[in-house]
Amino acid sequence: MKLNELMNELKWSNRTPDLNLEREVSGVYCGDLLSWVMGNGLPDQAWITVQGHMNIIAVAGLREFSCIIIAEDASIEEEVIQKAIEENIPIFESHLPVFETAKLLIEKGL
Amino acid sequence: MTPNNICNMAILKGLDIIAVTDHNSTKQLESVSKVAQSLGLHFLFGCEIQTIEEVHILGLFNSLDKTNKLQEWIDQHMPTIPNKVDFFGKQEICNIQDEVIGIEERLLLVSLDVSVEETIDKIHELGGKAILAHVLDRENSITHQLGFIPKGLPYDGLEVKSEDQIQRVLDNHPWIQKDSTTWFIDSDAHRLIDMSEREHKLDDIIFKDWWGIQV
Repeated sequence: MKLNELMNELKWSNRTPDLNLEREVSGVYCGDLLSWVMGNGLPDQAWITVQGHMNIIAVAGLREFSCIIIAEDASIEEEVIQKAIEENIPIFESHLPVFETAKLLIEKGL
Repeated sequence: MTPNNICNMAILKGLDIIAVTDHNSTKQLESVSKVAQSLGLHFLFGCEIQTIEEVHILGLFNSLDKTNKLQEWIDQHMPTIPNKVDFFGKQEICNIQDEVIGIEERLLLVSLDVSVEETIDKIHELGGKAILAHVLDRENSITHQLGFIPKGLPYDGLEVKSEDQIQRVLDNHPWIQKDSTTWFIDSDAHRLIDMSEREHKLDDIIFKDWWGIQV
């Protein structure tokens, strides 16, 4: 599934609207402990987290995640968004808790 | 661990200097520092702050005035969750005779609503030194919570458990230089029995240079 098809349907806030969403989403990864995510995430997954630290951009780049979905209105600084744009990593905000966010992605076929 | 137990154990172990860094609290520092002073033990006023990322950062200061200001900041940023004594134990505050003079009713084992960066900035603003605590631990260390130590983070020192850990940190962080980093190898003792002997030392000149003043 393409990221743009997915997000067009879900209508989550896109914090990086200038980035190209023509990329594949293969599945979903949930986690906030970055050392764990670094060790276990897989390429092209959409990553759901409440972790807003700058290091999420490095982790998403390292694991080649297709996007980061910030759940439950966790705070994310503007400089993290800027870094995401530089590194070409789309960031969305679902506003829902992680479980409800993941359920919607499952409903969409992931 | 009472003020007299801690300080007298430090003397028995032959330590020159101790830092007391309770979790998200500075309320015990006044009496422990007085007991330390009465025994001729050098004392650093500290606190172990847990950030919103669940990372532990030590703030070390040279006066109670500074840690009192830190406590005001902690009070603004700590969620008010009542302690469950059966589960987490009592959070008692003792005087210099080890008598209980207060109880912290709020659970201290929580995260403040501030980031690693904001915490380091606050410690610096109050004239303290910020040390990333037990950096390779599997619980609440910066490497466990955030994957790695961010480049350019303005900390003043790294706490490790052994010489081996210094090399492990260097292996994983090409941007960290061994010689320009101040390393603290200490026991991180949570019980009297865990307090170490004089196993590790920090060169007197390096420490005074790092601290910036005579201790």
